[in-house]
Amino acid sequence: MHAAGVISEYALFGAIAQMKYTEPVATLDADVLVAMPEPKGLDVLKPIYEFCAARGYRPEGEAVRVGAWPVQFIPAFSPLTREALEQAETADFEGVPLRVVGASYLAVIALSVGRAKDQARIVGLLESASVSRGQVARLAARHGLTEAWRRFEARFLDE
Amino acid sequence: MSDTLKLLERQAAWQKGRVALTWAEKIRMAEAVRESVAQLSRNRLPMASGVSASGHPPDDSRQQG
Repeated sequence: MHAAGVISEYALFGAIAQMKYTEPVATLDADVLVAMPEPKGLDVLKPIYEFCAARGYRPEGEAVRVGAWPVQFIPAFSPLTREALEQAETADFEGVPLRVVGASYLAVIALSVGRAKDQARIVGLLESASVSRGQVARLAARHGLTEAWRRFEARFLDE
Repeated sequence: MSDTLKLLERQAAWQKGRVALTWAEKIRMAEAVRESVAQLSRNRLPMASGVSASGHPPDDSRQQG
């Protein structure tokens, strides 16, 4: 997809990326953050769906079924997610190099979303020592999330 | 009570120990439980207050069972 010019960059994120750093967690789908070379119109993901359909990968709700997993493609939608994509790490998956969003970005994206499972993700990443409170605080501050981080610390981390 | 606490501590240690598995092994574990999680999600019943067990309003599209 990258070689064909359908996407300009990608990185796994969400629970699948989290599991690179933490213990396994339950998830229903695989999330892929993508950047498009020339987003056209409102349906920015259309070229991805067309590319997949031409190769026999069918849409399933808001995802595309690839093997056992529904894969959800999510355009980089903010300065934070665009930076996460640029700074993604390359990880080895049984000999296959895959781009994966880094732990600090996973934590701060989760902070910005703020659902219960996102809060659990931040705690999991901190417990695994893949990211420190200081790293999260600094990245959160750069993206206007200092107050959200302060509230999170008070609620979940401070005694 | 102390036996229960010890059991919970052993369980927590076992769970945390799984962080040492390879990424691929962890994803396979998630894949193994994915259908069960989906089934539970589909069968989830709304609570009397109209709020689901997750704390979110019930989503009828996920309550097919």
